Amino acid sequence: MRPENYQAVSHPPSHEYEVFFGPNHPGIEGNYALKVRLHGDEVTAARADGGYLHRGFEKLMEGRLWIQNIALVPRICVPDPVPMEVCYSLAIEALGGLEVPERAQWIRVMQLELSRIAAHLFTFGGNAATTGMYTPMFWGIADRDLILDLFEELSGGRVYHIYNIPGGVRRDLPEGYLKRVSDTLDYIESRLPDYDNLMFTNQVFVRRATGVGIMTQEQALDWGVTGPNLRATGLPFDVRRDDPYLIYDQLEFDVPVEEAGDAWARTLVRRAELKQSLRILRQVVARLPEIDGPIRAPIPNPLAWNLPLGDVYTRVESSKGELAYYVVSNGGDKPWRVHVRGPSAMHAVQVLEHLVTGARIEDVAQIMFSLDACPPEVDR
Amino acid sequence: MTPTDAPGHDVTTTLDFLLQEVDGLRTRWVAPRRLRVDLPAETLPALLELLKGRAGYVHLSAISCVDWPDDGQFELVYHTWSYELNVLVMAHIRIPRDPGVYLSIYDLYRPAAFFERDIHEMFGLWFEGSPDMGKFILTEWEGPPPMRKEFDGEAWVMEQFGWQEYRPEWLTEIEAKGGGISKRPEQLRGDKGEDGTA
Amino acid sequence: MTDLRTIPVVAAGEERPSGGQGNLLARVFDELTAFCRSRSLFMLHYCTGCGAVELPPAMTSRFDMERLGIQPMVTPRQADILLVTGYVSTKTLKRIILTYEQMNSPKYVIGICSCTVNGGMYWQSYATAKKLNDYLPVDMYIAGCMPRPEAVISGLRELIANIRAGRSDYWRDYYRRYDHYLGNQQRLFGENWQTPTDVIAEARHYGLFGPETLGEHTALLEQHQTPLQPFEMRLGLKQDKGSSS
Repeated sequence: MRPENYQAVSHPPSHEYEVFFGPNHPGIEGNYALKVRLHGDEVTAARADGGYLHRGFEKLMEGRLWIQNIALVPRICVPDPVPMEVCYSLAIEALGGLEVPERAQWIRVMQLELSRIAAHLFTFGGNAATTGMYTPMFWGIADRDLILDLFEELSGGRVYHIYNIPGGVRRDLPEGYLKRVSDTLDYIESRLPDYDNLMFTNQVFVRRATGVGIMTQEQALDWGVTGPNLRATGLPFDVRRDDPYLIYDQLEFDVPVEEAGDAWARTLVRRAELKQSLRILRQVVARLPEIDGPIRAPIPNPLAWNLPLGDVYTRVESSKGELAYYVVSNGGDKPWRVHVRGPSAMHAVQVLEHLVTGARIEDVAQIMFSLDACPPEVDR
Repeated sequence: MTPTDAPGHDVTTTLDFLLQEVDGLRTRWVAPRRLRVDLPAETLPALLELLKGRAGYVHLSAISCVDWPDDGQFELVYHTWSYELNVLVMAHIRIPRDPGVYLSIYDLYRPAAFFERDIHEMFGLWFEGSPDMGKFILTEWEGPPPMRKEFDGEAWVMEQFGWQEYRPEWLTEIEAKGGGISKRPEQLRGDKGEDGTA
Repeated sequence: MTDLRTIPVVAAGEERPSGGQGNLLARVFDELTAFCRSRSLFMLHYCTGCGAVELPPAMTSRFDMERLGIQPMVTPRQADILLVTGYVSTKTLKRIILTYEQMNSPKYVIGICSCTVNGGMYWQSYATAKKLNDYLPVDMYIAGCMPRPEAVISGLRELIANIRAGRSDYWRDYYRRYDHYLGNQQRLFGENWQTPTDVIAEARHYGLFGPETLGEHTALLEQHQTPLQPFEMRLGLKQDKGSSS
């Protein structure tokens, strides 16, 4: 039924359109908008629009105790929360001069890599769905759930764990946990050929992804892109290897690199990283039983815990790129300032606007997903 | 400049030697890969140009802004990273809080556009020469820049939304036995003009 | 799970006429409609926040929500359920209200996560709206931070049961007490807030015009209301931005 005041309007014939992508769209990209101007089906201009997920984290954290904030930080990136906890904990430990026991460091690395696998499986699903292939999405998310089960057993939470706290981790591994981790790794490894058949060697996907959203290495460096998106342009930079934290310098892993810089290369880099994460986890599972000792450094009463004056910049490699926290203490029981450098902030705004310009409308979603932006990191 | 695997002796001396070319610097190694540099605001572009041109500091990791209302200053911290030296240089400058204007470094580092826009929204600083200072996150916000220390977010929330009292039955039962919340939220807030809409 | 009835700020929905009255055929028809409605629900899940991350598991292979006849839908016009998954920032809330008003009746709103109930852990935040049912009539809350897929599914099953029994008709409340909702919206978005939907005319059309539909806030709306125009998109994009150099 047309409203009473409806009047048909006739527009002059034109090939120019303007289209909203988001903020509400049925994918796992999240609450983020992209406005594009089209000529025919070619994008001539684009503008990213964020802020839908803004909660004012940095302000909230200034009003809460150091230990309270550990419950806030994982919410900054929903699909990959563990790096947030670890990065914030590392910052507090550096400020407070805490030594993290070795066992806790190994457990943290296990958590980080499990989280990375989960995040990559999630991304594969979304990325495949943009080309109309829904099976990888169904499989990827179902396989990711097995990792969430491991998290749940350890911490009680499927998505947010609040398991890494300043000083170490909250509790020790349950009986037989490493066996279950090992079994899950076996399972995921056994699934990889299926994923290859379904997605990574599937011509439907390969042809849609090749040559789409090409970013050269100069552009990537110029825009400050990090993580898999940078490695897909041929620069082997990984915070885990080049600015090592925890016990990453004791582990063997490669930094996979692709040269092409297109959506296909970005997907391949993530595929190779998944394999490297499995490799790291195998080493951790093998070594962890030998490492005894406490899982937490003694911390003072966390409700009246004043950290000394100072500032620190800690960096962690999350599944999206270089995640960093700049934490300033003025000697009080609350942070004076916390600045979160979400990796997606770089590739979700400027880079996305640029890569989408000149692309065709059907490739826009593919470009968005292949960049693997996490909007809550942009908005905070 | 040869790529190095770890920040060895030669890297630290290279950097220390290089930074002697800029006047008025105070440098301090705070961690093996973290070099803190304090400098006056007007020499920052010279320092960044030197780092980018001669030591491979092509990656601007972040620009952080810290509000120091007692000193009447904003602290700006430029975190830059070199893919060749693998050392993070943090350049700290202080600018007066009023009028809160500084130069954009967009011509040196493209990512600065995002960070400067963000700082402009959250702190109200103005960066001369930044390409786009339009609103991005707080498009629906008309109040003062929220990250400034004088903005009391909690008081604003109390005024805007009001408080809904939540007293479920199970809490009443626990309180009847002498347990429950030891300190009510209004006590914690010091009874800041708040009248609960039950 | 909180039934809306237990929250005092929203009036309870209208009681259905009990059996034995009216045309028998109409009653059978009503029953049939309720049955069909409850069995094919298209849900628009607006990813407002964290809770959205538990919906893909709920929808895909492991928990498989489609067993219940619930499927995601891409457009508000064809959706029955509006799923608000998580905290609602002010900017998002505007879009949610626009989305809600575009949906066809009967429509149901589910608030997932504690943040939609009372602000959750962001109760201090200047950027998020606290209680969703101040701005929209909410049929059901699924509390938790975040609720597990099982909780989401169990909540949706309860909604199905409510629809089947004809208990879930809070969408009528939006028309009956439009002034109340509009007042809260104006308080947050400013007095010039206006949506492209003429809710008052719709209320008359559906026969849901009540004493509380109009009030001081709708009077304010009429003062500044610009006549509804055929919608034209203006994005404020620069013509031919080209390469962003």
